[in-house]
Amino acid sequence: MATTSSVVVLCCLFVLPLCVLGDTCLAPEVKTQTYTTTEAVTSTDTVFIIEFTLKCKNSVSNMNLYADIQGKTLPVTRTVTGDKYQVSFSDEHANLPSGSYNIRLFDEEGFAALRKTQRSGEDTGALKPVHTINMNHPGVWKGPFLQSEFVAATVAVFVWYLAYNARSQLQ
Amino acid sequence: MSMDQTFGIIDKIRMKIWLAALAALCMVLSCNGDNARLLASKNILNQYLVEGRDLTVQYSIYNTGGSAALDVNLKDEGFPETDFEVVRGNLNVRWERIAPGTNVTHSVILRPLQYGYFNFTSGEVSYKDSEDATESVSGYTSAPGEGGIVNSKEYDRRFSPHVLDWCVFAVMTLPSLVIPFLLFYRSKSRYDQPKTKKN
Repeated sequence: MATTSSVVVLCCLFVLPLCVLGDTCLAPEVKTQTYTTTEAVTSTDTVFIIEFTLKCKNSVSNMNLYADIQGKTLPVTRTVTGDKYQVSFSDEHANLPSGSYNIRLFDEEGFAALRKTQRSGEDTGALKPVHTINMNHPGVWKGPFLQSEFVAATVAVFVWYLAYNARSQLQ
Repeated sequence: MSMDQTFGIIDKIRMKIWLAALAALCMVLSCNGDNARLLASKNILNQYLVEGRDLTVQYSIYNTGGSAALDVNLKDEGFPETDFEVVRGNLNVRWERIAPGTNVTHSVILRPLQYGYFNFTSGEVSYKDSEDATESVSGYTSAPGEGGIVNSKEYDRRFSPHVLDWCVFAVMTLPSLVIPFLLFYRSKSRYDQPKTKKN
């Protein structure tokens, strides 16, 4: 009897923590591919797309993730096959200037904590995300600073001025 | 603007208001409050659609119902591989749940491989409208409609800075400027006496 009870206790000690840990991702290995809008002539909004795969040490898959970018929280989209995740974020060009952006990924538990701190108006920076993705946005190109027609016209006027000047100096 | 046109616009606005009211009524009648109800739109975030340049498609799904939509699937088969190349993003995605009163957006970047008119059709959305639903509800996103994809050469002709063209133009104008100048310069240096010798 004593042995069976000790086996049960041992089981509780070793198996239960594994079940509890089953939901959280341990030592996540994230591979990301990002896309940002670079041209303003054709596109109306700046779009960030972050695609990533997530591998956990404890082989947890199909996790429900949430992303926090610039204080906005959005649910992470998953592909139907379940192996890829995607975060899409878009705003006007002016609201997303060039620079580096941090995307913090939270699981269900972390998301609940995040919502709680957001509601109480505290700083969410202290929360520990599952993973943080750093993304660099090179900025959108809004066309050349000077129109080429303008440059050509200026050069033409300058050449004419030189010629006119030279002619007027003749006796 | 002529009177006819003005009345035409007013008529259109009036019709739109009626349609909106009708749609709202339909929604109230068919929505029984507790279940999830998703509205999905598909938009193209581009001013110009250009062959070989990135095209952004954005899907927005809004839950107007009273409970969370579960197991939401979004699928778009309106971009055949012969016409479009997926640059980034997925055209077949899912969300575990969409809470009531919230919206999610999803974007895909595509690159048109051919120019011409293309009919952008709607994507499919399917979801379970309550916890104990066995069958999923399916619907469609809005369709952006037909759009013209511009030839990349045509686009470059209109919007590229034409630096090379201007350089060629400058080189072509050089002879007519430089040859007279050289002639003038030679005769000037031959006949002009330096004034400094006066003192």
